[in-house]
Amino acid sequence: MSDGNQDHHQQFLRAFTTHEPAVRAFVRRLVPTRADADDILQEVAIVLWEKYEEFREGEDFKAWACGIARYKVLSWLRDKGRDRLVLNTEVVELIAKESLRDEPHLHKQRIALEACLEKVPPTDRILLAQAYQSDVKIQDIAETSGRSVGGLYQWLYRMRQILLECIQRNIAQESSV
Amino acid sequence: MKLDNEFKILVQNYIVGRVTERELEQLNLRLARDPEARRYFNELLNLDSALAEVAAGQISDYEQPVEQLNNFQSTDSQTTDCQECTTSYSNIDSPFDSKSESRQFFTARRILVVASFILLVSGTWWWQTPPQVFATIISAAGIEGPTEGSVLRNEMITIEKGSLELVTKNGARIAIEAPAEFRFESAQRLHMKRGRLAADVPPSAKGFTVVTPTGEAVDLGTKFGVDIPSQGNAEIHVFEGEVIAQSSGGGKRLSLRDGEAFQLQAGAGSSRALRSSAFIRPGEVASLRAALEEGQHAKSNQFLVTLRNDPALIALLDFETEDLPAGTYRMTQGRWPGSHAPEFVNVGDHMKLDVGGKQAWPQITLAAWVRIDQLGEPFQSFLHTDGWGEQEGQLHWMVTHHTTMRLALYGNALVPSSTNRDVYPDSQTPVLPQQGRWVHLAVVYDSDAGTVRFYFNGKLDKEERQEVAHPARLGPGQIGNWDLRDRKLSGRMDELLILGRAMTAAQVDALYKVGTPYR
Repeated sequence: MSDGNQDHHQQFLRAFTTHEPAVRAFVRRLVPTRADADDILQEVAIVLWEKYEEFREGEDFKAWACGIARYKVLSWLRDKGRDRLVLNTEVVELIAKESLRDEPHLHKQRIALEACLEKVPPTDRILLAQAYQSDVKIQDIAETSGRSVGGLYQWLYRMRQILLECIQRNIAQESSV
Repeated sequence: MKLDNEFKILVQNYIVGRVTERELEQLNLRLARDPEARRYFNELLNLDSALAEVAAGQISDYEQPVEQLNNFQSTDSQTTDCQECTTSYSNIDSPFDSKSESRQFFTARRILVVASFILLVSGTWWWQTPPQVFATIISAAGIEGPTEGSVLRNEMITIEKGSLELVTKNGARIAIEAPAEFRFESAQRLHMKRGRLAADVPPSAKGFTVVTPTGEAVDLGTKFGVDIPSQGNAEIHVFEGEVIAQSSGGGKRLSLRDGEAFQLQAGAGSSRALRSSAFIRPGEVASLRAALEEGQHAKSNQFLVTLRNDPALIALLDFETEDLPAGTYRMTQGRWPGSHAPEFVNVGDHMKLDVGGKQAWPQITLAAWVRIDQLGEPFQSFLHTDGWGEQEGQLHWMVTHHTTMRLALYGNALVPSSTNRDVYPDSQTPVLPQQGRWVHLAVVYDSDAGTVRFYFNGKLDKEERQEVAHPARLGPGQIGNWDLRDRKLSGRMDELLILGRAMTAAQVDALYKVGTPYR
């Protein structure tokens, strides 16, 4: 492989690595489950690489990638919408539009998560991390943590709610300084 | 946030896939109407994604180049007011430890994660070694983009005109006609968004699958075609052997055999009539390419100019103008890359014509390039005037149920010595579909001489004599369906010529030679 190609690959890898969390979060907001988002993101990564030659230096990689991801999601919804419980396309389009508009704010929220997680007791952090591993069965996590499945869902619901409120307060404090 | 708890629970249930259809409908309604609800929804799913990212070891979302991330030192030491959390600062070795070492580790790991899922899809370390080659183009006729000898990996290929033939790594030969968009997922799996494909699949490539937007075709060792129109459902046509058809959305798997065709529809599908000539077959592309290289297309265009200046010209339709005649038909590629030809598929498909006025034409020549799908019943109608039964000399040009070409003029009669099996003049030879290729058909009528001459690909096939021979009359009529019972046309027509004089055998031969798209 020529040096030029290698540089090209490295540039892509660097750009994608940098913006992958934002693109992943964007896709996640449009589809029902994290597993769906993972599947779509894999396809998006391939398309981004295929089309990377069309990407011009100085353009907004994140916006470009989210534009391509949006098309992938809409096509996925068309394919899967017949036999899966997915949101209406109109609603998804609306969410896509608003979430791109609000991305700077959502980005701050993702950053703020780290600080809020530090406030979570270690045992809870570990349990949360286990529940968020991909390909994990919630029944197994419930069993090893000594909870019922319903109880674990309830706990996760509370944790997400607590973290979201912590993040919101954190950002509100930052902007008031 | 002024949101009710019930809605929050609904969103929480949605993100773990625990909503019912009715709850999803409630969620749809609420999200469509309430901006505050959408804000909460967006923020909660944003958090869900960030938590997954952290759990996967990708702990930060600092959108800076990798080198900067590697050098990043945490300055984030401020405490956060998390009232519900019991804060602990003990140095535990947890997955959420956000110290700079782990940040470096996870940054490196993040690159591997990105690389690994590309690895999963493409099946190779793409930045170190070239991706696998799935197929090679062996013939290209008039396409822009890939050339002969080009290897295809998993890139999306789009061709807007022309045709190509390729061979997969496992030996399947595939001809694809534009406009087409396709991508190999592997040597055995071709994803096709639109276009027409014909495949010859040897035993070594058994299981070769064509994936379309409305389902897929799995080969079991055969010759088959797949037509994916830009709008509408894909169709599978089996020329030989067996293919499994599987509509998307849970449609049943169906075995199709020789001569069968099936339309793939989400969750269902329906049988179709075989269209044997709708597909450019492997082997045909090389012949098309050779003719293009010899400048056949330009020669044909030049000859059209000569024909347009012929004083006896009644009509010459090359179907290249935008003001096409009215009717029910679809436009496809003609004989040349990017040229156009009407295609007739369903029983009612037709194109209306009104040429020749009320004039009587003592001599007339009819000629056209056609790809006809099915021969035999019903009649294949090339040109049927509407005044049949009302005026002597009204004209019907067709392929009969005996697969011979016929020119019938209302009120005419054959000489008593004719051995023709019907009362109207027919060709000697059946109109051979020639493996679905373009064929040139011509018939020359001379009422003064009382003759009807049939030509296939420029060669005289038969002269039939008429005892009663009225001058030909045209006027309103149509190509394709004439009555719903037995007159249809299944196939394409290119360059229909109607001349008010009798072409000689040499002129018909020249017309064929200058217009043939093959070498």
